[in-house]
Amino acid sequence: MTSYSKEVIADLVSGKLPWPQTRRIMSAYKDDDRFFKYIQVLQDRVGWSDPILLPVSDHLFICDSAEGRVTKCECGHSFGDYRRNWKLAASIIVRDTEEALREIYPNSDIPDPQWMEIREFICPECGTLHEVEAAAPGYPVVHDFEPDLEGFYREWLGRPLE
Amino acid sequence: MTHPIVIGIDAGGTMTDTILVDADGHFKIGKSATTPRNESEGFIASAEDAADAWGLSLEELFSGVNVVLYSGTGMLNTLLSRTGRKLGLITTKGMEDMVLMGRGLQAWADYSYADRLHAVTHQHPDPLVPRRRTHGVTERVDQFGDIVLPLYEQEVRVAAKKLIADKVDSICIMTLFSHVNPAHEKRIAEICREEIQAAGAEIGVYASHEVRPVIREQSRLNSVLIEAYATSRGRMQLKSIEDASKKYGFKYGVQTLLSFGGLTSINHPRLHETMISGPIGGILGAAYVGKLIGNDSLICSDMGGTSFDMGVITRGQTRIENEPLMDRFKLNVPTLHLDTIGAGAGMILKVDPLTKKVSLGPESAGSDPGPICFARGGTEPTIADCDAILGRLNPDYFLGGKVKLQVEKARAAFKEKCADVLGVGVEEAAEGMIEMLEADANNALRRVISGQGIHPSEFTLLSYGGSGPLHLAGCSRGIGFKDIITFQFAAAFSAFGCTTADFMRRHSVSTQIDISSKASDATLVSVGEKVSEVWRDLATAAVSELMADGHARDKITTTPFLMMRYTGQLEDVEVLAPLPAVTSAEEMQKVIDEFEQVYAKVNHRVSRYGEAGYSITELGLIATADKVKPVLVKRPLGKSDPASAHKGVRQAYIGGRWHAANLYEMDDLKPGHEVTGPAIIEHPATTLVVHPGDQVFVDEWTLLHYRHS
Repeated sequence: MTSYSKEVIADLVSGKLPWPQTRRIMSAYKDDDRFFKYIQVLQDRVGWSDPILLPVSDHLFICDSAEGRVTKCECGHSFGDYRRNWKLAASIIVRDTEEALREIYPNSDIPDPQWMEIREFICPECGTLHEVEAAAPGYPVVHDFEPDLEGFYREWLGRPLE
Repeated sequence: MTHPIVIGIDAGGTMTDTILVDADGHFKIGKSATTPRNESEGFIASAEDAADAWGLSLEELFSGVNVVLYSGTGMLNTLLSRTGRKLGLITTKGMEDMVLMGRGLQAWADYSYADRLHAVTHQHPDPLVPRRRTHGVTERVDQFGDIVLPLYEQEVRVAAKKLIADKVDSICIMTLFSHVNPAHEKRIAEICREEIQAAGAEIGVYASHEVRPVIREQSRLNSVLIEAYATSRGRMQLKSIEDASKKYGFKYGVQTLLSFGGLTSINHPRLHETMISGPIGGILGAAYVGKLIGNDSLICSDMGGTSFDMGVITRGQTRIENEPLMDRFKLNVPTLHLDTIGAGAGMILKVDPLTKKVSLGPESAGSDPGPICFARGGTEPTIADCDAILGRLNPDYFLGGKVKLQVEKARAAFKEKCADVLGVGVEEAAEGMIEMLEADANNALRRVISGQGIHPSEFTLLSYGGSGPLHLAGCSRGIGFKDIITFQFAAAFSAFGCTTADFMRRHSVSTQIDISSKASDATLVSVGEKVSEVWRDLATAAVSELMADGHARDKITTTPFLMMRYTGQLEDVEVLAPLPAVTSAEEMQKVIDEFEQVYAKVNHRVSRYGEAGYSITELGLIATADKVKPVLVKRPLGKSDPASAHKGVRQAYIGGRWHAANLYEMDDLKPGHEVTGPAIIEHPATTLVVHPGDQVFVDEWTLLHYRHS
């Protein structure tokens, strides 16, 4: 069935694929082998060899490493076991004052810092901004999701993890 | 046989069709693949094909004809590939972003239903002029044409200088309400021309009120941009067609078709009006055939490789669409109304491996690479492949044998990609795919008819296009048409339709005239004066354009028209004025009565609502000049046995089993002949499948009438 070359998927991931082609892919039925090609493309991009199991965000992955399945930055920095919220091991900037919010919204309205703060989660090693969350002051750090890796690989990809 | 007098050529997305017509109405048709990069190649190849059929050389053909009609895709391709001119835009200050914002529907127009629902696929078309070359100038005219803010001329000079420095090819001007009062646009154009002259540059200036002074600034903007952007290359393509014709001895200028159904020379000042011309020919041809058969309610349906176009003529009235889409841009060009769905023989078939859901298209394999059976590199199964697998297409007689169909190759690919995934036999799957396509077209026809508010039994269906007759039976089954007709020249019917058109100009302006239901005679007189004055101006403009094309004044007739509605409605009805000018209250009343009659015809008698009053939203004028036209020859009916056209028997799969279907040569069928299915009537350019039990009758005009059993 539908299948695209690894080059096409690489262009798609990096946003270099021309729009008409991108839309054709969006409108067609999903290619069967997309996930594994996608993982290959990501694996080629990172500078380390631990196999990627699941991308978490643009530069953050769950991979199989010597210390088990961990959340890892593209730069190689490990945030620890994937079942634990990686954000707790990140460097965090909390913008909870008008001044701090004005820094990122210089020309527009800003939220009321008594009602909402913005938290930025940053890799302590390379400084990549991995995630931003907006929450009420005092609300605990959000654990975005804890994937069921075994179930995903077994039931959705048809290729169980050893 | 006499010599052809008219060559009509219709270059579609896939094929270029040619029809040659002589003074007695004999036809020959030719076909060749469209060559988008240089259309004159496809044009000549297709003309040569037709000349061969007539037994003429190209020189003999072109030196003898009076009229060459061409409707092509050059401008559309320029637009689609964004290879037009470099534009700059001057507009009312504050409106600079309108190019980027566009109309919401432009982000999804032409999409499949599924893609419309999925907003993630929505994307505005790339703007024809970038934001950085759009300049706002302070000025404002209100909806009554009064100047609210004067034009700040200094700003215009600055903008013009900037655009000249940016080395644009053309400057477009579009200000708000310029269709009511163009004073500011005119002044901006003047200043631009002064600056261009001062800089010694060569830059075109296009003002929106000159292109089309009609309400709705987004469409007016798109029209002026597209005129400036795409037509110069389109003109070159048309010029190359004219040069190619002249090379073979053609003595006159090539003509092209306007989207509202008239002909014009390729020097037409608003060439974007010819962009949507291909399918229009079909409606003109249908109107012509309707007169012959004595029915003025017709549905014309054109199935080619990519789309299924349907046009309606209801009791002699064609519908005009005032804001059609062109490459997802809303335009201000009056166009004969067509409904289109994606359904054609080139449709690519897909089966979802998870849900086993079958979907047709909307992508088409086109002519390059084409269906798998063409063996030109196509890898995705299409409807045409199914037709080949089921024996409905003759592998040795496609385009008269010029393309050998690779049935086995198509069969293997179809089995792997569709039949096996579905888990059914190849024939069953292939017929199922065809039935889906035909059901889509069938539903679309029902929808179009029910929108007319008239019973289907009043309508005659005309089926044409390369694949029209091939799928005619399924498309029309069960609707209950009065009659179903197809043609020996089905593949070139649109081209034929073009040859029945007259030379034409259509000028119009937006107006805002409201007439209350209780209007006094004095009011009616003053409205009448206003209307007549506009018509006089339009007539002068239209007639002088036709005369510039070389038509004698006494050969030109003018018909004024109005776009009218009951006050408060959202849609207009086009009313041809019963009088050349309005001079009294009675005459104005006559015009209003005419509107009510047309309204009742198009909708229904009881839907009239004069109590609301009347609004005239647009005044216009159509100027026409006659041209030689083909005539279909009437011949006496002969005997009903079609044995003289019989050419063999072929296995064809229809209705769940193989049949030994009789083969007939379409061109050899004579008036009076009756063919009973299962049968296949072949022509080099088209194939008519007659299902078991159904009949085809050839009438005295040699039109083929299809009768369901």
